Amino acid sequence: MPESVRVHYQEELESLETSALEGLDMVNTALSRTMEAVEHRDIELAQVVINDDDRIDGRYLEVHQSLITLLATQSPVATDLRLISSLLHVLKSIERMGDQCVNVCKLIPLTGHEAPADPEMLKLILTMGGHTRTLITQSKRAFEGRDVEMARDLVRRDDAVDNLNRECFHLALALGDDADRREWAMTMLLAARAIERIADNAVDIGEQVAFVVTGLFREFEDASHPS
Amino acid sequence: MAQDETRPEAARATREEAAERAAIAVRPEFRSGATANFEKTVFEMKGIEVLYSGVSAVKGITMEVGHNEVTALIGPSGCGKSTLLRCLNRMNDLIPTAEVQGELLYHGEDLYGPHVDPVQVRKLIGMVFQKPNPFPKSIYDNVAFGPRILGRKDGLDATVEKALRGAALWDEVKDRLKDNAFGLSGGQQQRLCIARCIAVEPDVILMDEPCSALDPISTGKIEDLMIELKKEFSIVIVTHNMQQAARVSDRTAFLMVELDAEEHNRWGRLVEYDVTEKIFTNPSDKRTEDYVSGKVG
Repeated sequence: MPESVRVHYQEELESLETSALEGLDMVNTALSRTMEAVEHRDIELAQVVINDDDRIDGRYLEVHQSLITLLATQSPVATDLRLISSLLHVLKSIERMGDQCVNVCKLIPLTGHEAPADPEMLKLILTMGGHTRTLITQSKRAFEGRDVEMARDLVRRDDAVDNLNRECFHLALALGDDADRREWAMTMLLAARAIERIADNAVDIGEQVAFVVTGLFREFEDASHPS
Repeated sequence: MAQDETRPEAARATREEAAERAAIAVRPEFRSGATANFEKTVFEMKGIEVLYSGVSAVKGITMEVGHNEVTALIGPSGCGKSTLLRCLNRMNDLIPTAEVQGELLYHGEDLYGPHVDPVQVRKLIGMVFQKPNPFPKSIYDNVAFGPRILGRKDGLDATVEKALRGAALWDEVKDRLKDNAFGLSGGQQQRLCIARCIAVEPDVILMDEPCSALDPISTGKIEDLMIELKKEFSIVIVTHNMQQAARVSDRTAFLMVELDAEEHNRWGRLVEYDVTEKIFTNPSDKRTEDYVSGKVG
């Protein structure tokens, strides 16, 4: 049997992958709190999410720097090179997901304490949040398991989130002429859009799973030229 | 583009072609297999086996080497890279116990055919060694050595200048051509050896770890030189430096050591041969992956 070498390098790469993917757990926590803040119009909880985003950014910067160091010092090739390239993409997606949670949380004070919330639209948004949390968890599991099928399945789940986003739009249009209700609905549409983008980022992570496994990068769905 | 807008089908076809081109760019195996689609083949090896005193050093080597390409041979120590390289210009003939079996075609001709002159072979297929080995003569005489042996007397100055320019050494030595070659640095001496090699206008240059005794700057110069030289010559290089193979070669062959059941005998075997980009981004064989990633010794 050939002797294994570069053990420390392998351990470091594995540890960096774990650290990067833990960022998805942090995003899941942020999204969970964001949804709770939206549901209860909880400005304090929203502020916690905004403050905690520094932790997600910190994780991004820390792991990103370590990966660059690994590239510079270890000259990774083949699967290791593809993994590092993918982790850099994944980190960027995680950072963007965190920012989208912040975007939603910044909207909550704008709706006011006694906002004329539409229960049906609120329910849709909370459902979007739940689906998106599932997408995030699934993207992490697919990456950890190098499971391309599971990664591809993210597209199906993302379609459900997209449909809910469209339903939100139609509901907002149908809410009538009351200025306060329309303002609330427009603000919530921005929130729905941000959540929909988080789900898209989870699909992007799925595409990186396919790249690590196959060496071929192809978008699962071409947004600019849908089939 | 305006035409595409008015013809949606054409636009879609163009996009699909672009996507295919992009896929080819990231997956070289879609472009061509390493053993196919050479514009021109220099060497064709069919089941090459080299034995020293009846014991195999490498066996079962079947591969082609393309013209105007840099082909790298990589693999752990003892896998037979240098042995294989030395077959290509019959340097193994100089070892009395060495024996080459199988078929080795050079531009379609049997290199080991009964009427082939090994000296002529080594003129057409030059070699640069691991350690710079200039002759104890002047810089000029080192480069002029080959042409003089071949009986060339006219235009020797021009030949020497052309060879030194080709080896990217002219500017550094043009004012001291009569100085002893031993006064040059290691990197300059190696480029002098390359100049000496190309002065006889070979077709192929074989390089056996040409940079292993050089510092990074000299190594960079030799690597730049290889990329220039391949426009005119075909190059086969043996290197232990994986990054060097990745930087300079068009195709890479990975050899590894194979043992018999009793682990008494060992020999080199070709594991994978493909476009270099593929070998270093997405090799087909797990053993290649482990070796180029440095995970096994």
